[in-house]
Amino acid sequence: MTLVKDSLPASRKTRSAASATTGRRPGRRRENLAGYLFMSPWIAGFLLLTAGPMVASLYFAFTDYNLFNAPKWVGLDNFTKMFHDPRWQKSVEVTAKYVIIGTPLKLLLALGVALLLSQSRRGQAFYRAAFYAPSLIGASVSVGFVWRSLFSDGAIVDRTQSFFGWHVGGWVGNADWVLYCLVALTVWQFGAPMVIFLAGLKQVPRELYEAAEMDGAGPLRKFWSITLPMISPVLFFNVLLETIHSFQIFGSAYVVSNTYCGPADATLVYTCYLYQQGFKNAQMGLASAMAWMLLLAVALVTAVLFWSQKKWVHYEEDAR
Amino acid sequence: MGTSRNLERRTILRAAGASAAALGLTAVTGCGSGSGSGDGTVTIRYSWWGAEERAKKINQTIALFEKKYPKIKVKTDFQTYASFWEKFQTQAAGGNPPDVFQNAVGFLRKYDKRGILLDLNSQAKAGNLSLDHFRDGVTKVGEVDGKQLGIPVGSNTMALVIDKKVFQKAGVEPHAGWTWEDYFKALKTIHDKTKVPGDTGYFTIMYLYDLYLRQNGKAFFTKDGLGFDQADLTEWWTDGYNRVKAGIVTDPKIVEQDKPKSSLSAGHGASEFTWDNFTVRYTAEGSSTYGLAPIPTTDGKQTGQYLASLMLSASAHTSHPKEVAQFIDFMVHDPQVGTIMGYDRGILASTEQYEAFKPTDPVNKEIAQYEADTAKAGVLGTITPHPSGADTIEAAFLRIGGDLGQGKTKVSDAVKQFFTESDAAFQA
Repeated sequence: MTLVKDSLPASRKTRSAASATTGRRPGRRRENLAGYLFMSPWIAGFLLLTAGPMVASLYFAFTDYNLFNAPKWVGLDNFTKMFHDPRWQKSVEVTAKYVIIGTPLKLLLALGVALLLSQSRRGQAFYRAAFYAPSLIGASVSVGFVWRSLFSDGAIVDRTQSFFGWHVGGWVGNADWVLYCLVALTVWQFGAPMVIFLAGLKQVPRELYEAAEMDGAGPLRKFWSITLPMISPVLFFNVLLETIHSFQIFGSAYVVSNTYCGPADATLVYTCYLYQQGFKNAQMGLASAMAWMLLLAVALVTAVLFWSQKKWVHYEEDAR
Repeated sequence: MGTSRNLERRTILRAAGASAAALGLTAVTGCGSGSGSGDGTVTIRYSWWGAEERAKKINQTIALFEKKYPKIKVKTDFQTYASFWEKFQTQAAGGNPPDVFQNAVGFLRKYDKRGILLDLNSQAKAGNLSLDHFRDGVTKVGEVDGKQLGIPVGSNTMALVIDKKVFQKAGVEPHAGWTWEDYFKALKTIHDKTKVPGDTGYFTIMYLYDLYLRQNGKAFFTKDGLGFDQADLTEWWTDGYNRVKAGIVTDPKIVEQDKPKSSLSAGHGASEFTWDNFTVRYTAEGSSTYGLAPIPTTDGKQTGQYLASLMLSASAHTSHPKEVAQFIDFMVHDPQVGTIMGYDRGILASTEQYEAFKPTDPVNKEIAQYEADTAKAGVLGTITPHPSGADTIEAAFLRIGGDLGQGKTKVSDAVKQFFTESDAAFQA
C-alpha cells in the first residue's frame, strides 16, 4: 500500500518534468487536431481520388476488365500480353525518344536563357515574364491546336523551311518528323525550370567570381568551375522534375495527332496508348497494368538519378 | 545548407511521389442523370455526334418538342464521332449513359451484349412510339435478334463523292456500272491532267472494302468474325499502296495534315468514298462543287451497296422509358422536324418526314436523286451483320492502312497486324 502511495506522486513528478521540457501538452494536442482538421479536405481527396483509385488500379492490373463485366482474375496475363505487343514496344520507344531528346534540350535552353537574364540589364523584368509565359499556357489544349496549325503542310514552319530548300511538307502528317514537333513544344515551355535556375544563379556568392577573376579565370572557366558546381543541386532538381514530367506527356500528343496518336504511331507516347487501350478498346485491366509499368519505370529512373547525384551534385557544406 | 539539403530532398521526393501517384489513371464518370421533379416535369439527356451545323438544327427541333411536351425537358450534349464514343463508353460503363442517343449499326451488338440498349418493341407495343410509316425496310437496320435497338432517323448508302470541277476539267464522266478498272483509269487521267490525286485513300475505308468483298461474294463481317482472309487483304492493300506511290491516291501524309477536314474538301483529292449524306458536310467545308457518283463494280452490275442508317437508341437504364419513347417518336415522325433536319443524317427515314421535306438546294436534291437511282438500279442488298468489336476494327483498318500508305510498314506486316488486332477486338 505504501509503495503504491509513494509511487503516485513520483510518477506525477516525472510527467510534469517531461512536460516542462517539451512544452505544454494539451495545447499541442489541440494544435495537432487543428492541423489535421485543416488538412482533412486534402486527406479526404487523397484517399478518395488518389489512394483509392490506385489500389483499385493495382487490382485491375491483374484482371481482365472491360468496364462492363466484373473483373476476372488473370494473374500476370496483362503483363505478358503487354510485353509481346509490338504497339506497346513502339510506345515505349517513342516515349524514350521524347524524354531523351526533349528533356536535355529544354534544360539547356532554360539554363542558357537564365544565364542571360541573371545579369542585370534594362527591361529584365519584361524578358523574364515573356520567357516564362509559355509555361503558363503550355499545358492547355489550345496550344496543341496552335502547334498543329503551325507545323501543318503549307503553314509557317513548312513555308520557312521550303524557302531554304528543305521541303518536308509539314511535320504533322509526317511520321519521321511529327515527334520533333512535340519536342519543340516542350522545349518552348522552358520557363518553369528557367525560373528555378535563375533563383539558383542568384545564390552563387559574388566573392567566388571575384576571387576567380583575380586568378585570371575567363567566363568559360568561371562557368565550369564555379557556376555549374554551385547550381548543381538546382540542376538536379530540374533534371528530376522535367524527366518525370516528360514521361507523362499526353495532351500535346493527343491534340497534335488529332486524338489518335498517329500517323504510323509516330506520336504513340506511352500514356496515349494506355488511354487507347483503356477507353477506346475497353481493356481497363491491361491499361491499369500499363499504368503500373509506367510508375515502375519512372521510379527506376528517379532512383538512378538519386544514385547518380553523389557523383555530380555538390552541396555547400556550411552555408546558412 | 545541412538542413536545407534534407528539406530539398524531401520536397523532391514528395513531388516525385505525387506525380507518380497521379499516373494511376482513373475513370471518373460524370454524375447526375435525368430525373423527375415535383411538378411532374421530367428531364431526359440526349447525346449525338456531329458538328456545329447539325447542332443548330437539332436545337431547333428540340424547341419544337418541348413546346409540344411541356412536361419533358431535353438536355443535349454533342461531340465529334470519335470523342462521342469514348465518352459514351465511360458513361455506359458507369451505369449513366444518356437517355437517348444517336447510334449506328457498328455499335448495336457491342452495346446490346453489355445490356445498355433498350428494346424499343415494348414501348411500341405500349403505344408510345410508332414503328409504322417507314420507307421500305429501313427499320430492319435497327433490329438485332428480334429486338428493336434503334429507330432510324435517316438512311444512307455508300457513294463516291466527287469534286465536280476537277472531274470536268479532266474530262472524266463517271457512269453507272463502271468497273474498278475504269475507275482507276479515271484517277490516272485526273492526275495526269490536273495534278490532283484522284482519290483520297479508298483502301483504308472499311465500308468500301465491305462493298468490294460483297461484289465478290464475301463480306467484311460474318456474325462473329471477319468474312475474308489474309490473302484477300494483302491483294487489296498491295494495290492501294502502289497507287499511293503512283500519285493517283492522295499521300497519307497530306490526309493527316488536312484533318479534321477531309482531303477532298481541302482540294487534295478529286474523289472520296463515303456516305452519300456527307456531301452536305463537304459542301460546307470546301470551296468546290461536290456531287455523287456510282460505286465501281467488279462485274459491271452489282455494287454491293445497302441502306445503312443513323438511329436513335435509348438507354436500358433510363428511368423515363415512356418519355424517351415519345421523344424518339416525335424526332422520327414529326414533319416539321423533317423539314428542319433535311438530309443531314441521310434521307429521312419515316414517310411523314420524307414527304414533308422537298429538297430545293442542289446538294440535298442530288442526294435524293442518288438514293432514288440506286434503289431503282436494284443493286441494294441487305446489310451484313456487325459483330461486337466492329468499331475497334474499323479504326484499326483505317490506322494500319494509313501506316501502310506512309510506307512505315510492309503490306505483309500490316495484314498480320490487322488480323491480330481484330482477334483482340472480337474478344474484348
